[in-house]
Amino acid sequence: MSRNGPIALIYHTLFVIFMLAPILVVCFVAFTPEGYLSFPTDRWSLRWFYAIGRYPEFISAFWRSLWLGALSSAIAVAFSVPAALAIGRHRFRGRDAMTALFMSPLMIPHVVLGIAFLRFFTELGLGGTFVGLVLAHIVVVLPFALRLTLASAVGLDRSIEHAAISLGASDRTVLRRITLPLVLPGLISGWALAFINSFDEVTMTVFIAAPGTETLPVRMFLYIQDNIDPLVTSVSACVIAITAAALIALDRAYGLERLLVGRSVDGR
Amino acid sequence: MAFLSLEGLSKHFGTHVAVDGLTLAVEKGEFVSLLGPSGCGKTTTLQMIAGFVEPSGGAIRLEGRDLLAVKPAKRGLGIVFQSYALFPHMTVAENVAFGLEMQGVAAAERTRRVGETLELVGLGTFAGRYPRQMSGGQQQRVALARALVIRPQILLLDEPLSNLDAKLREEMQIELRQIQRTVGTTTILVTHDQAEAMALSDRLVVMNHGRAEQIGPPHEAYERPATPFVASFLGRTNLVNGTTVRPEKIWFATSGLAGKVRTRIFQGNHWLYQIETADGLVTVIRQNTGEAMPGEGEAVHLAWAAT
Ligand SMILES: Nc1ncnc2c1ncn2[C@@H]1O[C@H](COP(=O)(O)OP(=O)(O)OP(=O)(O)O)[C@@H](O)[C@H]1O
Ligand SMILES: [Mg+2]
Repeated sequence: MSRNGPIALIYHTLFVIFMLAPILVVCFVAFTPEGYLSFPTDRWSLRWFYAIGRYPEFISAFWRSLWLGALSSAIAVAFSVPAALAIGRHRFRGRDAMTALFMSPLMIPHVVLGIAFLRFFTELGLGGTFVGLVLAHIVVVLPFALRLTLASAVGLDRSIEHAAISLGASDRTVLRRITLPLVLPGLISGWALAFINSFDEVTMTVFIAAPGTETLPVRMFLYIQDNIDPLVTSVSACVIAITAAALIALDRAYGLERLLVGRSVDGR
Repeated sequence: MAFLSLEGLSKHFGTHVAVDGLTLAVEKGEFVSLLGPSGCGKTTTLQMIAGFVEPSGGAIRLEGRDLLAVKPAKRGLGIVFQSYALFPHMTVAENVAFGLEMQGVAAAERTRRVGETLELVGLGTFAGRYPRQMSGGQQQRVALARALVIRPQILLLDEPLSNLDAKLREEMQIELRQIQRTVGTTTILVTHDQAEAMALSDRLVVMNHGRAEQIGPPHEAYERPATPFVASFLGRTNLVNGTTVRPEKIWFATSGLAGKVRTRIFQGNHWLYQIETADGLVTVIRQNTGEAMPGEGEAVHLAWAAT
């Protein structure tokens, strides 16, 4: 505290309030009994939490989002590993073009991607299917997975692999016993970041999801178009609670900073 | 026939010639140092022997067989990298056991040999630690143990002591020499530290711009340098009356080359003088025997034995 002056302290406090206020308001509203969004209030109720039970499509959308995020992130990471090892450690023709290609989804507005995938999947007969969602999400989260995987591949000391080779290890053994364990923290971080982005994605997904393959954010978005009641706030409160619990658990087990920054096991 | 021979070994990076026709024959059990200034091609030479850099020309033979045809993983060489290159996610014991595992040595035998080798490098009690929990000198010894435990035909050491402080480096030099004597492994050491090379080696290869300027025992290279580069790289030299003379071979006499003491530095076991003479500055090193020595500004005469 002593290093930060009072002005810095006020600034940080305001900043945190600015970040947290919408989340807190959502959580408050979730506990109101009214049939519309009311805030502030002095009456409390769990009515809208019970209401979630009457909308099983929210529950199934939640599980779909979870699976979609986990699966597309895992595939994106699996795809990133060879790409990152090639880009990070070899000079070859088309290397920059390859990097640009993998990073390009960051540059394209998700609305455009959504419309493009809608056309494309309809042609292929994948329109509105879960497979289509997974494919589209892989494209969108790939840059995030690749970024962190690449960072850990670039930071890898080649002489460690050379040491293993000189001790008689085959290429496969080096990959399995040395390279992969050393880039693993980057893979985990890349997966986590990709998952968060997938779980959050609504702009593109709203175009390609059909009734029955809606993700949680899409379901919520569609719901508030027709309704003004606080059901989405109670759903949000649940998501926030689950996220907070997951973050605490991760922090206990693994260290949050290490996860998000992508540090390796030995702190290098 | 030599145990290991490099025959006209060259490496070009584009137009840059890193190693230029190096020829060297190493006998079994010999300790040879590649010595030279930064960028003279020492690491490149070592990496070609190890198989991680492909030569542009020349041949490498081990007991007469073409080593270049053998994959790096099959060469059976023990390498200690400058950065140690320990496996950070494995314990010391796992690091050392890795090579034995690759050779398919049974677990019990593995444990025994790992323990034995860790004892040899004085790390018997550190088996369970991770590299990050150890000092630089200890990590270096783990790297040495990891290379030695597979009983390599040749040990390649790339500036293994350069990250250590002076005292620890000296200790490790003695230890390295002892271990090499005990195990008898043919060893090639890369270093730019001439004192280290002279202290450890049976023979020196003094390199400059990718070429071997002189190959021979340390004493011979020091006393009879083949080129001016070797003379100046292996310790100090003076050029007086057209001949090169080592500073410690010059003494103060009643007659001889006249000069005046410009600076005098006391270095414990010896004095270091800079003498102004008609022939330019001359460096003189005199043993400290406890006797009084000429002071700064004094007029002196210098003498040396004719060579
Ligand atoms: N991969 C490479 N590409 C281009 N040039 C290289 C490469 N590796 C080494 N060189 C060049 O070859 C020369 C010899 O390099 P090398 O690493 O063998 O030097 P060294 O004697 O080990 O030097 P140091 O004492 O600094 O380690 C240097 O001029 C270096 O710039
Ligand atoms: Mg080098």
